[in-house]
Amino acid sequence: MRRLAVLLIAAVLAAAPFAGAQDVQIGSRAFDISRNLRCPVCTSESVADSSAEIAQQMRGLIQEKIEEGLSDAQIYAFFQERYGDWILLDPPKRGVHLLVWLLPVLIGAAAVVVVVSMTRRWLAASARTEPVSQADLDRVRAALAGAAAGPDGPGTGDESSEDG
Amino acid sequence: MKASRTALIAIVVTAIGALFAFGLLRGNPDDRNITSNLLGRPAPGFTLPLYERYWPDYGETFSLQEHVGQPLVVNFWASWCLPCYDEAPILQQAWQTYGPQGVQFVGIQTQDRDKRDEGRTFIARFNLGFPNVLDNDSLVGVDWALYGVPETFFVDASGKVVAKHIGPVTAAVLDQQLGALLR
Amino acid sequence: MFELQLGPLGGASVFLAFGLALYGAVAGVIGAARRDARLQTSARLAAVAGFILATAAVVVMQAALLTNDFSVSYVAGHSRIASPTWVKVVTMWAALEGSILLWAWLLTGYTALLAVTAPLSPLRPYAISIMQAVQVFFLGVLAFIANPFKVVPLPPLDGPGPNELLQNHWMMAVHPLLMYLGFVGLTVPFAYAMAALITRRPGTEWMAQTRRWTLTGWGFLSGAIVAGGWWSYEVLGWGGYWAWDPVENVSFMPWLTATAFIHSVQVQERRRMLKPWNVLLIVATFSLSILGTFLTRSGVVSSVHAFGNGPVGPAFLVFFLLVTLAAFGLLAMRWDDVKDRADLDSVVSREGSFLGVNILFVTLTAAVLLGTLFPLIVEALTGDKVTVGAPFFDQTTLPLWMLVLLLMGIGPLLPWRRAEQQRLSRNLALLAAAFVVSGALAWLLGVHKVYPALTVALAGYNLMSLYLLLSGALAPRLRLANRGALQVIRSYAVESRRRVGSMIVHFAVVIIALGVAFSSGYRVDEQIRLDFGGSAEFSGYTLTAVDRFMERTPARISAGAVIEVTRGGKPVTTLRPRLNLFGEAGRTVPTPAVYYTATHDLYLNLNSSVGPDTTFVVLRVVKSPLVTWIWLGGAILLLGTVYSLGGGRRTVPARAVAGEKREGAPA
Repeated sequence: MRRLAVLLIAAVLAAAPFAGAQDVQIGSRAFDISRNLRCPVCTSESVADSSAEIAQQMRGLIQEKIEEGLSDAQIYAFFQERYGDWILLDPPKRGVHLLVWLLPVLIGAAAVVVVVSMTRRWLAASARTEPVSQADLDRVRAALAGAAAGPDGPGTGDESSEDG
Repeated sequence: MKASRTALIAIVVTAIGALFAFGLLRGNPDDRNITSNLLGRPAPGFTLPLYERYWPDYGETFSLQEHVGQPLVVNFWASWCLPCYDEAPILQQAWQTYGPQGVQFVGIQTQDRDKRDEGRTFIARFNLGFPNVLDNDSLVGVDWALYGVPETFFVDASGKVVAKHIGPVTAAVLDQQLGALLR
Repeated sequence: MFELQLGPLGGASVFLAFGLALYGAVAGVIGAARRDARLQTSARLAAVAGFILATAAVVVMQAALLTNDFSVSYVAGHSRIASPTWVKVVTMWAALEGSILLWAWLLTGYTALLAVTAPLSPLRPYAISIMQAVQVFFLGVLAFIANPFKVVPLPPLDGPGPNELLQNHWMMAVHPLLMYLGFVGLTVPFAYAMAALITRRPGTEWMAQTRRWTLTGWGFLSGAIVAGGWWSYEVLGWGGYWAWDPVENVSFMPWLTATAFIHSVQVQERRRMLKPWNVLLIVATFSLSILGTFLTRSGVVSSVHAFGNGPVGPAFLVFFLLVTLAAFGLLAMRWDDVKDRADLDSVVSREGSFLGVNILFVTLTAAVLLGTLFPLIVEALTGDKVTVGAPFFDQTTLPLWMLVLLLMGIGPLLPWRRAEQQRLSRNLALLAAAFVVSGALAWLLGVHKVYPALTVALAGYNLMSLYLLLSGALAPRLRLANRGALQVIRSYAVESRRRVGSMIVHFAVVIIALGVAFSSGYRVDEQIRLDFGGSAEFSGYTLTAVDRFMERTPARISAGAVIEVTRGGKPVTTLRPRLNLFGEAGRTVPTPAVYYTATHDLYLNLNSSVGPDTTFVVLRVVKSPLVTWIWLGGAILLLGTVYSLGGGRRTVPARAVAGEKREGAPA
């Protein structure tokens, strides 16, 4: 009875998704390459990450190509020739893909430009504040000199500022 | 100034809404309706082992290269693929119609490693008359840039791939494509 | 005989809670507009009652799950008798309807807590009403679109159980809970920001009142992201923890904007600047969390974790558009009130560095959003299908992360307003020295890849920064104090909780950065075949397949290989990578076995089936350095967040309290 149960389990697990598992040895370079290729039958998974049969076969194929002496670029080209740019998880920097590479750079640059222009305005606003008389300035200097000996002394930024 | 700001917000939100509405209406993002790189190019050749029942007519292997010169229908399937069960009888019927007119059909079982028994059962179930082979390593599938099964390719008499159909093939698609090839 | 039916009971609770939310949202706004205290109080009571009803719905769902009541549609669709109790409990958030119930419940809980504890202010009634308006959406979805309490006329004898990948690891119990706690927590500052715009009080009031909520929400969200990574690592079997999948990205974007927010609000607190910008950031955080739910629940983008098409997706889309339109519309209407009349003394100052933080995090968010949506945009415009994968996100975000680390070191050292030249030069020299020394050390020790080496250099630089911060704060105290050093340190840590908390969090970020840089930069992947009894070498280890094993629990069947790991002939550990099968109809889930060490992990996953007649196994073997540091860093980060929250409310000067009392405002 127990034996039967074990056999049943075994049958179920043997029908696992690895009917097509490659029993070849696959090296790190093949995994590195397959990390940049999209598994054709999966939903947004790489050939390296997927356990789909075709992904396993493709890893084996990449290993074979490596052993034949092909370069990384040649292996990518092999898949690209068949599947087009779609197979490359690393979008090529041309055509419509160029946009996805350029836009973040442009957005970052735009953010910098906006902040710089605003900063300029603010700096000007600060410079425009009312003039200080020499007497006031001397008083403040004296007060600061006294404060420097306080508990928050030199070394760091504004210690009393409590920021999280 | 205020009006233009409001208008800008409205435009941006509308554009985002339109984009996502398109996303919702377009259906499954994972359908593989992608133009094949193969179209207009010579069909990738292969030689694969045939199932026994075809040995008397075709020998033990099937080579695509030997059939250049006649229009070809190349169908990829797998024993675990449910839509393949829908299209198999349609392919068999089309084979009976177009086979005599000189069109060669070939079925390729792929992404189905070592599933020979399942393959035989599938073929027997639909009594498929056209030759079927097993692509045990799924590498012919890679050569044909397969995204999944079933997929069906149409090859003209000069050996060029002229069309690709993704998903289960229908009689209408077969009639249309083969009508064009035979004209 | 009367029999209690759980389905209608739960459904009724949801429906009543929906009604109360609707009432509260309307009554609160009218009450605030007419200054009608009774109406406002009734809205607050509705918030408390709504929480009680939502709790009832959750209790009913738990009862249905635990008693295997398959007449409740959600239980029939997602639970299984044989599952262990903890799986049944967490099944509530293992699928769509239940996770919306969880979200709605947490939202009612936060709203009730707010209604009870929030100090009286002109903002409060509006803020609570906005929370209730958000409740109206979630409870409405539950009541009308995705009702988990539908009655199944012919209940099945057993259900399919939750998704295999979810019941395969206890982390799945934690991750969604943290995520929703984070999203809901960040709804509070959003509600207050909207209230501030409505009442034309865009000052620091709204952020001062929500500081704890914001930080709590941010902490939960951070925890959720780390927990999600750990779950991926322990379950998915590819040896990684982050794949830039759309589902991951959409949880990451609100975190990015929330991180920008918690830094940026400080500029407003201290310098009364960036008012509209802070509103913008919190609106973005909230609407991105709704957008994320829409994207993952509608199947609009291709994702491993996508959930099927359903009417819930469009509902979230409409809500997202409404929120965005309303929030930005309101901001535009109130622009003249919020507009900054700010001035800046110098860019080289604390506020200057926070401006830099904003630029970096906004660019990061934009890059992630763009990469996630790009395939959709291209398809909408041209019909072509294109791919944007992990390498894109790595290449675009890595330089930005390096700049984040750079800013993180210098920013806290700069004083507000203007840095003093002499002190600044000294600090910069020390920071540069730490950068160069640690970078050179890493290079000499063989770290020759750009990003890992740069990360080490920046880690050294950041540690120097933390040292300068601490010594700068402690040295004068020690010099002046007549107490022992330990006491001085303790009193500093208690007095400056926010500052010390932020140092702990920044330290955690350094640890996580090192973990990420090394585990992705120096990861080794191999697939090896082992005959039973045979051995193979892998990265200094010897792996021997000793045996197969099979075991059965009521909930699952497992089969796997017993792999003995030795190093230089000495036994290290025994790992048991396995295949789990939950229920006969389920799908087999390979479950990796991991040997954790402080310097690297050894990760084994089965890539072949195991049966009584198998003679060999195929293993995916991964060695990745410093992965543990990420989980450790995550824990430290949470510790820092909790530390900075702890210790009771910030002491209010006695004068202010007296003043409030005089005005007769009840607490």
